[in-house]
Amino acid sequence: MSRLSAAAALAALLAAHPVAADPGIDPLTWLQRAADSARQATYAGTIMHMQGERSATSRITHVFLAGSEIERIESLDGPRREIVRRDDQLQCYFPDAKTIRYDRRVSARFFPSIVAGPVEAIAQNYKVALGNIERVLGQDCQWIHLDPKDALRYAQRLCAEVGSGLLLRAKTLGPKNEVLELYAFTDLRMGRDVPRGEVKSAFVAQSKGWRREGESAAGKPAPGASGWAVEAPPSGFRLVSEMQRHLPKRSQPVTQLVLSDGLATMSVFVEPIAGAQRSAEVTSADGALSVYRMPMGEHLVTVLGEVPPEAAQQVGRSVARRSGAETAAAAR
Amino acid sequence: MTQEISLLMDGELESREAGRAIRTCCGDEELKRTWQAYHLIGEALRGEEPRPDASTRRIMDAIAKEPTVLAPRWRLPARAGRVAFAAAASVATVAVVGWIGVQDRGTPGGPVVAKAPAAAPAAQPVVASRVVPLHNVNEYVVVHRQLPNADFYQSVSAQAAGGR
Repeated sequence: MSRLSAAAALAALLAAHPVAADPGIDPLTWLQRAADSARQATYAGTIMHMQGERSATSRITHVFLAGSEIERIESLDGPRREIVRRDDQLQCYFPDAKTIRYDRRVSARFFPSIVAGPVEAIAQNYKVALGNIERVLGQDCQWIHLDPKDALRYAQRLCAEVGSGLLLRAKTLGPKNEVLELYAFTDLRMGRDVPRGEVKSAFVAQSKGWRREGESAAGKPAPGASGWAVEAPPSGFRLVSEMQRHLPKRSQPVTQLVLSDGLATMSVFVEPIAGAQRSAEVTSADGALSVYRMPMGEHLVTVLGEVPPEAAQQVGRSVARRSGAETAAAAR
Repeated sequence: MTQEISLLMDGELESREAGRAIRTCCGDEELKRTWQAYHLIGEALRGEEPRPDASTRRIMDAIAKEPTVLAPRWRLPARAGRVAFAAAASVATVAVVGWIGVQDRGTPGGPVVAKAPAAAPAAQPVVASRVVPLHNVNEYVVVHRQLPNADFYQSVSAQAAGGR
Protein backbone atom coordinates (compact mmCIF):
# COMPACT_ATOMS: atom_id res chain seq x y z
CA MET A 1 0.00 0.00 0.00
CA SER A 2 2.77 2.41 0.92
CA ARG A 3 4.62 1.44 -2.23
CA LEU A 4 1.53 2.26 -4.24
CA SER A 5 1.17 5.70 -2.68
CA ALA A 6 4.84 6.37 -3.27
CA ALA A 7 4.33 5.52 -6.92
CA ALA A 8 1.33 7.83 -7.03
CA ALA A 9 3.37 10.62 -5.45
CA LEU A 10 6.12 10.07 -8.01
CA ALA A 11 3.61 10.15 -10.83
CA ALA A 12 2.15 13.40 -9.49
CA LEU A 13 5.67 14.85 -9.25
CA LEU A 14 6.47 13.87 -12.82
CA ALA A 15 3.19 15.31 -14.05
CA ALA A 16 3.94 18.60 -12.34
CA HIS A 17 7.50 18.71 -13.73
CA PRO A 18 7.44 17.03 -17.11
CA VAL A 19 11.02 18.14 -17.83
CA ALA A 20 12.87 17.10 -14.70
CA ALA A 21 16.61 17.05 -14.15
CA ASP A 22 16.70 13.36 -15.06
CA PRO A 23 18.99 13.11 -18.11
CA GLY A 24 16.71 10.39 -19.41
CA ILE A 25 13.93 12.80 -20.17
CA ASP A 26 15.52 16.23 -20.50
CA PRO A 27 15.77 16.98 -24.24
CA LEU A 28 18.55 19.54 -23.79
CA THR A 29 20.68 16.96 -22.02
CA TRP A 30 20.19 14.69 -25.02
CA LEU A 31 21.30 17.49 -27.35
CA GLN A 32 24.40 18.05 -25.25
CA ARG A 33 25.20 14.32 -25.27
CA ALA A 34 24.88 14.33 -29.07
CA ALA A 35 27.29 17.26 -29.32
CA ASP A 36 29.79 15.76 -26.88
CA SER A 37 29.88 12.29 -28.36
CA ALA A 38 30.26 13.55 -31.95
CA ARG A 39 33.44 15.26 -30.74
CA GLN A 40 34.82 12.93 -28.10
CA ALA A 41 33.73 9.44 -29.09
CA THR A 42 35.65 7.09 -31.37
CA TYR A 43 33.60 5.86 -34.29
CA ALA A 44 33.79 4.75 -37.90
CA GLY A 45 31.05 4.15 -40.40
CA THR A 46 29.40 4.89 -43.70
CA ILE A 47 27.33 8.05 -43.97
CA MET A 48 24.67 8.56 -46.55
CA HIS A 49 23.73 12.14 -47.33
CA MET A 50 20.59 12.98 -49.26
CA GLN A 51 19.93 16.52 -50.33
CA GLY A 52 16.95 17.26 -52.50
CA GLU A 53 16.84 14.43 -55.00
CA ARG A 54 20.52 13.59 -54.87
CA SER A 55 22.51 11.34 -52.62
CA ALA A 56 26.15 10.82 -51.76
CA THR A 57 27.96 8.39 -49.51
CA SER A 58 31.16 8.83 -47.57
CA ARG A 59 33.09 6.94 -44.97
CA ILE A 60 34.03 8.64 -41.73
CA THR A 61 36.59 7.63 -39.12
CA HIS A 62 36.76 9.75 -36.00
CA VAL A 63 39.07 9.48 -32.99
CA PHE A 64 39.68 11.74 -30.03
CA LEU A 65 43.30 11.79 -28.87
CA ALA A 66 44.90 14.03 -26.25
CA GLY A 67 42.10 16.56 -26.47
CA SER A 68 42.17 16.73 -30.27
CA GLU A 69 39.70 15.46 -32.81
CA ILE A 70 41.20 13.57 -35.72
CA GLU A 71 38.83 12.65 -38.46
CA ARG A 72 39.10 11.17 -41.91
CA ILE A 73 36.29 11.45 -44.42
CA GLU A 74 36.54 9.74 -47.77
CA SER A 75 34.08 10.01 -50.59
CA LEU A 76 32.68 6.71 -51.83
CA ASP A 77 31.16 8.21 -54.98
CA GLY A 78 32.98 9.50 -58.03
CA PRO A 79 36.73 10.10 -58.07
CA ARG A 80 38.54 9.37 -54.81
CA ARG A 81 38.82 12.30 -52.48
CA GLU A 82 39.70 12.38 -48.85
CA ILE A 83 39.80 14.92 -46.06
CA VAL A 84 41.79 14.47 -42.90
CA ARG A 85 40.89 16.92 -40.18
CA ARG A 86 42.75 17.69 -36.98
CA ASP A 87 40.44 20.00 -35.03
CA ASP A 88 39.88 22.85 -37.51
CA GLN A 89 42.82 22.10 -39.83
CA LEU A 90 41.87 20.27 -43.01
CA GLN A 91 44.08 18.37 -45.41
CA CYS A 92 42.23 17.49 -48.58
CA TYR A 93 43.71 14.80 -50.81
CA PHE A 94 42.93 14.71 -54.54
CA PRO A 95 44.78 11.71 -55.95
CA ASP A 96 43.55 12.29 -59.51
CA ALA A 97 44.99 15.80 -59.51
CA LYS A 98 47.95 14.78 -57.31
CA THR A 99 47.12 17.72 -55.08
CA ILE A 100 46.81 18.33 -51.36
CA ARG A 101 44.81 21.34 -50.40
CA TYR A 102 45.07 22.84 -46.94
CA ASP A 103 42.09 24.55 -45.52
CA ARG A 104 40.56 25.63 -42.26
CA ARG A 105 37.22 24.24 -41.20
CA VAL A 106 34.84 27.15 -40.91
CA SER A 107 31.41 25.69 -41.43
CA ALA A 108 29.72 24.51 -38.30
CA ARG A 109 27.36 21.90 -39.69
CA PHE A 110 28.63 18.36 -40.18
CA PHE A 111 27.22 14.94 -39.48
CA PRO A 112 27.22 13.53 -36.87
CA SER A 113 28.25 16.85 -35.23
CA ILE A 114 25.00 18.58 -36.14
CA VAL A 115 24.62 20.15 -32.70
CA ALA A 116 27.26 22.85 -32.89
CA GLY A 117 26.16 25.63 -30.58
CA PRO A 118 25.31 25.93 -26.88
CA VAL A 119 22.13 23.94 -26.32
CA GLU A 120 20.54 26.76 -24.29
CA ALA A 121 20.98 29.08 -27.27
CA ILE A 122 19.42 26.48 -29.56
CA ALA A 123 16.45 26.21 -27.20
CA GLN A 124 15.78 29.93 -27.63
CA ASN A 125 14.92 29.43 -31.29
CA TYR A 126 13.68 25.85 -31.40
CA LYS A 127 11.13 23.96 -29.36
CA VAL A 128 13.06 20.90 -28.22
CA ALA A 129 11.20 17.72 -27.33
CA LEU A 130 11.88 14.02 -27.17
CA GLY A 131 10.21 11.64 -29.59
CA ASN A 132 10.10 7.87 -29.66
CA ILE A 133 12.88 5.44 -29.04
CA GLU A 134 13.35 3.37 -32.18
CA ARG A 135 15.65 0.59 -33.21
CA VAL A 136 18.20 1.94 -35.70
CA LEU A 137 21.24 -0.03 -36.94
CA GLY A 138 20.43 -2.59 -34.27
CA GLN A 139 20.68 0.02 -31.50
CA ASP A 140 18.09 1.84 -29.45
CA CYS A 141 17.89 5.37 -30.77
CA GLN A 142 16.19 8.36 -29.12
CA TRP A 143 14.54 10.82 -31.49
CA ILE A 144 14.95 14.49 -30.59
CA HIS A 145 12.50 16.89 -32.21
CA LEU A 146 13.56 20.47 -32.89
CA ASP A 147 10.79 22.67 -34.23
CA PRO A 148 11.59 26.28 -35.13
CA LYS A 149 9.85 29.11 -33.32
CA ASP A 150 9.88 31.24 -36.49
CA ALA A 151 9.80 30.65 -40.25
CA LEU A 152 13.50 31.44 -40.69
CA ARG A 153 14.86 27.96 -40.00
CA TYR A 154 13.88 24.37 -40.69
CA ALA A 155 12.74 21.70 -38.27
CA GLN A 156 15.28 19.03 -37.38
CA ARG A 157 14.79 15.42 -36.31
CA LEU A 158 17.85 13.91 -34.68
CA CYS A 159 18.20 10.31 -33.57
CA ALA A 160 20.75 9.74 -30.80
CA GLU A 161 22.03 6.28 -29.93
CA VAL A 162 20.89 5.71 -26.37
CA GLY A 163 24.18 4.36 -25.00
CA SER A 164 26.58 6.98 -26.35
CA GLY A 165 24.38 9.86 -27.50
CA LEU A 166 25.97 9.74 -30.98
CA LEU A 167 23.59 10.76 -33.75
CA LEU A 168 22.70 7.93 -36.11
CA ARG A 169 20.26 9.95 -38.21
CA ALA A 170 19.57 13.63 -38.84
CA LYS A 171 16.67 14.89 -40.90
CA THR A 172 15.84 18.43 -41.97
CA LEU A 173 12.13 18.95 -42.54
CA GLY A 174 10.42 21.57 -44.67
CA PRO A 175 7.27 23.46 -43.73
CA LYS A 176 5.07 20.57 -44.93
CA ASN A 177 7.12 18.03 -42.96
CA GLU A 178 8.81 16.89 -46.15
CA VAL A 179 12.37 15.61 -45.76
CA LEU A 180 14.70 18.18 -47.34
CA GLU A 181 17.96 16.67 -46.21
CA LEU A 182 18.94 13.43 -44.55
CA TYR A 183 22.14 12.18 -43.00
CA ALA A 184 22.23 8.57 -41.91
CA PHE A 185 24.82 6.08 -40.79
CA THR A 186 24.32 2.91 -42.79
CA ASP A 187 26.89 1.06 -40.70
CA LEU A 188 28.77 2.06 -37.59
CA ARG A 189 31.52 0.76 -35.34
CA MET A 190 32.39 2.44 -32.07
CA GLY A 191 35.08 2.48 -29.42
CA ARG A 192 37.52 -0.41 -29.46
CA ASP A 193 36.13 -1.72 -32.72
CA VAL A 194 37.90 1.17 -34.47
CA PRO A 195 41.69 0.71 -34.82
CA ARG A 196 43.28 4.15 -34.57
CA GLY A 197 45.41 3.58 -37.66
CA GLU A 198 42.23 3.82 -39.72
CA VAL A 199 42.19 7.57 -39.31
CA LYS A 200 45.38 7.94 -41.35
CA SER A 201 44.94 8.94 -44.97
CA ALA A 202 45.40 6.19 -47.52
CA PHE A 203 47.38 8.68 -49.59
CA VAL A 204 50.04 9.75 -47.09
CA ALA A 205 52.75 7.49 -48.51
CA GLN A 206 52.17 8.32 -52.15
CA SER A 207 51.57 12.05 -51.72
CA LYS A 208 55.18 13.15 -51.19
CA GLY A 209 55.57 14.86 -54.55
CA TRP A 210 52.03 16.17 -54.87
CA ARG A 211 51.18 19.78 -55.47
CA ARG A 212 50.29 21.59 -52.26
CA GLU A 213 48.05 24.59 -52.11
CA GLY A 214 45.72 26.37 -49.78
CA GLU A 215 45.49 28.66 -46.88
CA SER A 216 46.17 26.70 -43.71
CA ALA A 217 48.76 29.24 -42.63
CA ALA A 218 46.02 31.84 -42.22
CA GLY A 219 45.37 32.30 -38.55
CA LYS A 220 41.97 32.90 -37.10
CA PRO A 221 40.89 36.23 -38.49
CA ALA A 222 39.39 38.77 -36.15
CA PRO A 223 35.67 39.40 -36.49
CA GLY A 224 35.12 42.55 -38.51
CA ALA A 225 38.48 42.31 -40.22
CA SER A 226 36.90 41.91 -43.64
CA GLY A 227 35.05 45.20 -43.41
CA TRP A 228 31.71 43.45 -44.06
CA ALA A 229 28.97 42.71 -41.59
CA VAL A 230 25.47 41.26 -41.45
CA GLU A 231 23.46 43.99 -39.76
CA ALA A 232 20.18 42.15 -39.17
CA PRO A 233 20.49 38.36 -39.17
CA PRO A 234 17.49 36.24 -38.07
CA SER A 235 17.25 35.76 -34.32
CA GLY A 236 19.94 33.52 -32.87
CA PHE A 237 22.30 33.57 -35.89
CA ARG A 238 25.73 34.68 -34.79
CA LEU A 239 28.96 35.18 -36.69
CA VAL A 240 31.09 32.09 -36.04
CA SER A 241 33.78 32.58 -38.66
CA GLU A 242 35.14 35.19 -41.01
CA MET A 243 37.89 34.85 -43.58
CA GLN A 244 39.28 35.84 -46.96
CA ARG A 245 39.34 33.01 -49.48
CA HIS A 246 41.32 32.67 -52.68
CA LEU A 247 39.15 30.70 -55.06
CA PRO A 248 40.17 29.38 -58.44
CA LYS A 249 39.15 31.56 -61.38
CA ARG A 250 38.89 34.64 -59.21
CA SER A 251 41.69 37.16 -59.29
CA GLN A 252 40.61 38.85 -56.07
CA PRO A 253 39.97 37.27 -52.67
CA VAL A 254 36.40 36.55 -51.60
CA THR A 255 35.17 37.36 -48.11
CA GLN A 256 33.32 34.56 -46.35
CA LEU A 257 31.26 35.16 -43.22
CA VAL A 258 29.72 32.11 -41.53
CA LEU A 259 26.63 32.46 -39.36
CA SER A 260 25.14 29.73 -37.16
CA ASP A 261 22.19 29.40 -34.84
CA GLY A 262 23.76 26.31 -33.30
CA LEU A 263 22.09 23.94 -35.78
CA ALA A 264 21.74 25.65 -39.16
CA THR A 265 24.51 27.57 -40.92
CA MET A 266 24.71 30.22 -43.60
CA SER A 267 27.72 31.44 -45.52
CA VAL A 268 27.86 34.98 -46.86
CA PHE A 269 30.27 35.58 -49.73
CA VAL A 270 31.22 39.06 -50.88
CA GLU A 271 33.32 39.52 -54.00
CA PRO A 272 34.13 42.46 -56.24
CA ILE A 273 32.35 42.39 -59.59
CA ALA A 274 34.04 43.62 -62.70
CA GLY A 275 32.17 45.14 -65.58
CA ALA A 276 28.42 45.07 -66.06
CA GLN A 277 26.59 44.18 -62.90
CA ARG A 278 23.79 41.68 -62.70
CA SER A 279 20.44 43.30 -62.81
CA ALA A 280 18.37 41.83 -60.01
CA GLU A 281 18.42 39.78 -56.86
CA VAL A 282 18.05 36.03 -57.29
CA THR A 283 16.71 33.42 -54.90
CA SER A 284 16.68 29.67 -55.29
CA ALA A 285 16.38 26.55 -53.19
CA ASP A 286 17.35 22.92 -53.59
CA GLY A 287 16.58 20.52 -50.81
CA ALA A 288 17.53 22.27 -47.60
CA LEU A 289 20.01 24.55 -49.36
CA SER A 290 18.90 28.07 -50.23
CA VAL A 291 20.86 30.55 -52.30
CA TYR A 292 20.35 34.28 -52.49
CA ARG A 293 22.45 36.58 -54.62
CA MET A 294 22.32 40.31 -55.10
CA PRO A 295 24.62 43.00 -56.43
CA MET A 296 25.63 45.70 -54.00
CA GLY A 297 27.43 48.55 -55.70
CA GLU A 298 30.69 47.14 -56.98
CA HIS A 299 30.31 43.91 -55.04
CA LEU A 300 28.29 40.77 -55.40
CA VAL A 301 26.76 39.27 -52.26
CA THR A 302 25.89 35.56 -52.24
CA VAL A 303 24.25 33.89 -49.25
CA LEU A 304 23.80 30.15 -49.06
CA GLY A 305 22.84 27.84 -46.27
CA GLU A 306 20.59 25.13 -44.92
CA VAL A 307 17.81 27.60 -44.15
CA PRO A 308 14.54 28.67 -45.80
CA PRO A 309 15.04 31.12 -48.71
CA GLU A 310 13.53 33.92 -46.62
CA ALA A 311 16.36 33.64 -44.08
CA ALA A 312 19.01 33.80 -46.81
CA GLN A 313 17.24 36.87 -48.22
CA GLN A 314 17.09 38.59 -44.86
CA VAL A 315 20.80 38.05 -44.32
CA GLY A 316 21.73 39.12 -47.85
CA ARG A 317 19.71 42.29 -47.72
CA SER A 318 21.27 43.34 -44.44
CA VAL A 319 24.89 42.91 -45.55
CA ALA A 320 26.67 46.23 -45.18
CA ARG A 321 30.14 47.62 -45.24
CA ARG A 322 31.33 48.64 -41.84
CA SER A 323 32.45 52.22 -41.60
CA GLY A 324 36.18 52.87 -41.34
CA ALA A 325 35.96 53.71 -37.65
CA GLU A 326 34.06 50.55 -36.83
CA THR A 327 36.46 48.42 -38.85
CA ALA A 328 39.43 49.95 -37.09
CA ALA A 329 37.79 49.40 -33.73
CA ALA A 330 37.05 45.75 -34.55
CA ALA A 331 40.60 45.18 -35.73
CA ARG A 332 42.11 46.54 -32.54
CA MET B 1 14.22 -3.75 -53.54
CA THR B 2 17.66 -4.35 -55.07
CA GLN B 3 16.52 -2.33 -58.05
CA GLU B 4 15.49 0.46 -55.70
CA ILE B 5 18.92 0.50 -54.09
CA SER B 6 20.47 0.79 -57.50
CA LEU B 7 18.20 3.69 -58.35
CA LEU B 8 18.94 5.23 -54.99
CA MET B 9 22.66 5.16 -55.71
CA ASP B 10 22.06 6.83 -59.03
CA GLY B 11 20.00 9.47 -57.33
CA GLU B 12 17.00 8.50 -59.41
CA LEU B 13 14.47 8.09 -56.64
CA GLU B 14 12.20 10.85 -55.51
CA SER B 15 12.93 11.80 -51.93
CA ARG B 16 9.95 9.95 -50.47
CA GLU B 17 10.80 6.72 -52.29
CA ALA B 18 14.43 7.19 -51.39
CA GLY B 19 13.51 7.55 -47.73
CA ARG B 20 11.66 4.25 -47.90
CA ALA B 21 14.55 2.59 -49.69
CA ILE B 22 16.99 3.82 -47.05
CA ARG B 23 14.79 2.63 -44.22
CA THR B 24 14.55 -0.79 -45.77
CA CYS B 25 18.18 -0.84 -46.75
CA CYS B 26 19.43 0.04 -43.30
CA GLY B 27 17.14 -2.35 -41.50
CA ASP B 28 17.92 -5.48 -43.49
CA GLU B 29 21.32 -7.14 -43.35
CA GLU B 30 21.13 -8.62 -46.81
CA LEU B 31 20.05 -5.38 -48.44
CA LYS B 32 22.76 -3.58 -46.53
CA ARG B 33 25.26 -6.00 -48.07
CA THR B 34 23.77 -5.27 -51.48
CA TRP B 35 24.20 -1.57 -50.83
CA GLN B 36 27.84 -2.08 -49.87
CA ALA B 37 28.45 -4.43 -52.76
CA TYR B 38 27.19 -1.81 -55.17
CA HIS B 39 29.69 0.62 -53.74
CA LEU B 40 32.47 -1.91 -54.09
CA ILE B 41 31.47 -2.39 -57.71
CA GLY B 42 31.49 1.37 -58.12
CA GLU B 43 34.95 1.59 -56.65
CA ALA B 44 36.21 -1.20 -58.86
CA LEU B 45 34.95 0.63 -61.90
CA ARG B 46 36.48 3.92 -60.85
CA GLY B 47 39.43 5.25 -62.78
CA GLU B 48 37.96 4.17 -66.09
CA GLU B 49 36.31 6.42 -68.59
CA PRO B 50 32.83 7.47 -67.45
CA ARG B 51 30.52 4.79 -68.78
CA PRO B 52 27.76 6.12 -71.01
CA ASP B 53 25.14 4.54 -68.78
CA ALA B 54 21.62 5.75 -68.31
CA SER B 55 22.54 7.94 -65.37
CA THR B 56 25.38 9.74 -67.16
CA ARG B 57 23.34 10.15 -70.31
CA ARG B 58 20.43 11.48 -68.34
CA ILE B 59 22.62 14.05 -66.65
CA MET B 60 24.34 15.12 -69.84
CA ASP B 61 20.99 15.37 -71.61
CA ALA B 62 19.66 17.42 -68.76
CA ILE B 63 22.61 19.77 -69.01
CA ALA B 64 22.07 20.17 -72.72
CA LYS B 65 18.42 20.98 -72.17
CA GLU B 66 18.55 22.98 -69.00
CA PRO B 67 19.24 26.65 -68.96
CA THR B 68 21.97 26.96 -66.34
CA VAL B 69 20.28 29.80 -64.61
CA LEU B 70 18.65 30.66 -61.39
CA ALA B 71 15.42 32.49 -61.76
CA PRO B 72 13.89 35.12 -59.54
CA ARG B 73 11.37 33.28 -57.42
CA TRP B 74 8.70 35.90 -57.79
CA ARG B 75 8.56 35.49 -61.56
CA LEU B 76 8.87 31.76 -61.96
CA PRO B 77 7.47 28.58 -60.49
CA ALA B 78 9.73 27.33 -57.70
CA ARG B 79 10.36 24.22 -59.74
CA ALA B 80 12.30 26.16 -62.36
CA GLY B 81 14.78 27.38 -59.80
CA ARG B 82 15.09 23.94 -58.33
CA VAL B 83 15.89 22.27 -61.62
CA ALA B 84 18.41 24.87 -62.59
CA PHE B 85 20.16 24.61 -59.28
CA ALA B 86 20.19 20.83 -59.46
CA ALA B 87 22.54 21.20 -62.40
CA ALA B 88 24.70 23.56 -60.38
CA ALA B 89 25.30 21.23 -57.47
CA SER B 90 24.90 17.81 -58.99
CA VAL B 91 26.61 14.93 -57.28
CA ALA B 92 27.89 13.73 -60.63
CA THR B 93 31.34 15.14 -61.25
CA VAL B 94 30.93 14.74 -64.97
CA ALA B 95 27.83 16.88 -64.75
CA VAL B 96 29.56 19.53 -62.70
CA VAL B 97 32.53 19.74 -65.00
CA GLY B 98 30.18 19.92 -67.94
CA TRP B 99 28.22 22.64 -66.23
CA ILE B 100 31.30 24.70 -65.54
CA GLY B 101 32.27 24.29 -69.18
CA VAL B 102 28.90 25.56 -70.30
CA GLN B 103 29.20 28.48 -67.93
CA ASP B 104 32.58 29.43 -69.29
CA ARG B 105 31.30 29.54 -72.83
CA GLY B 106 28.16 31.32 -71.78
CA THR B 107 27.17 34.87 -72.40
CA PRO B 108 29.24 37.43 -70.50
CA GLY B 109 26.41 38.30 -68.18
CA GLY B 110 23.01 39.86 -68.49
CA PRO B 111 19.75 38.12 -69.31
CA VAL B 112 19.90 34.92 -71.28
CA VAL B 113 17.17 33.12 -73.14
CA ALA B 114 16.56 29.51 -72.27
CA LYS B 115 16.75 27.40 -75.40
CA ALA B 116 15.13 24.21 -74.23
CA PRO B 117 14.03 21.81 -76.95
CA ALA B 118 10.26 21.54 -77.14
CA ALA B 119 10.43 17.83 -76.35
CA ALA B 120 12.45 18.33 -73.18
CA PRO B 121 10.50 16.98 -70.22
CA ALA B 122 11.94 19.69 -68.00
CA ALA B 123 11.04 22.51 -70.38
CA GLN B 124 9.47 24.68 -67.74
CA PRO B 125 7.93 27.94 -68.83
CA VAL B 126 11.15 29.83 -68.27
CA VAL B 127 10.56 33.50 -68.89
CA ALA B 128 13.27 34.99 -71.04
CA SER B 129 13.51 38.25 -69.17
CA ARG B 130 14.77 38.53 -65.60
CA VAL B 131 16.61 35.24 -65.88
CA VAL B 132 20.09 35.63 -64.55
CA PRO B 133 23.03 33.28 -65.01
CA LEU B 134 24.51 32.32 -61.70
CA HIS B 135 28.24 31.94 -62.10
CA ASN B 136 30.42 29.78 -59.94
CA VAL B 137 27.96 29.09 -57.16
CA ASN B 138 29.33 25.54 -57.04
CA GLU B 139 32.57 26.69 -55.52
CA TYR B 140 30.62 28.44 -52.83
CA VAL B 141 28.64 25.30 -52.02
CA VAL B 142 31.92 23.43 -51.76
CA VAL B 143 33.52 26.01 -49.50
CA HIS B 144 30.39 26.20 -47.37
CA ARG B 145 30.05 22.44 -46.91
CA GLN B 146 33.72 21.41 -46.79
CA LEU B 147 32.79 17.81 -47.45
CA PRO B 148 34.49 15.46 -49.92
CA ASN B 149 31.43 15.29 -52.12
CA ALA B 150 31.75 14.60 -55.79
CA ASP B 151 31.99 18.29 -56.60
CA PHE B 152 34.39 18.99 -53.77
CA TYR B 153 37.16 21.14 -55.15
CA GLN B 154 36.44 19.81 -58.62
CA SER B 155 38.19 22.95 -59.78
CA VAL B 156 41.41 21.48 -58.44
CA SER B 157 41.07 18.54 -60.79
CA ALA B 158 40.06 20.84 -63.62
CA GLN B 159 43.13 23.00 -63.05
CA ALA B 160 45.46 20.05 -62.93
CA ALA B 161 43.93 18.55 -66.05
CA GLY B 162 44.30 21.86 -67.86
CA GLY B 163 47.94 22.11 -66.84
CA ARG B 164 48.89 18.74 -68.26
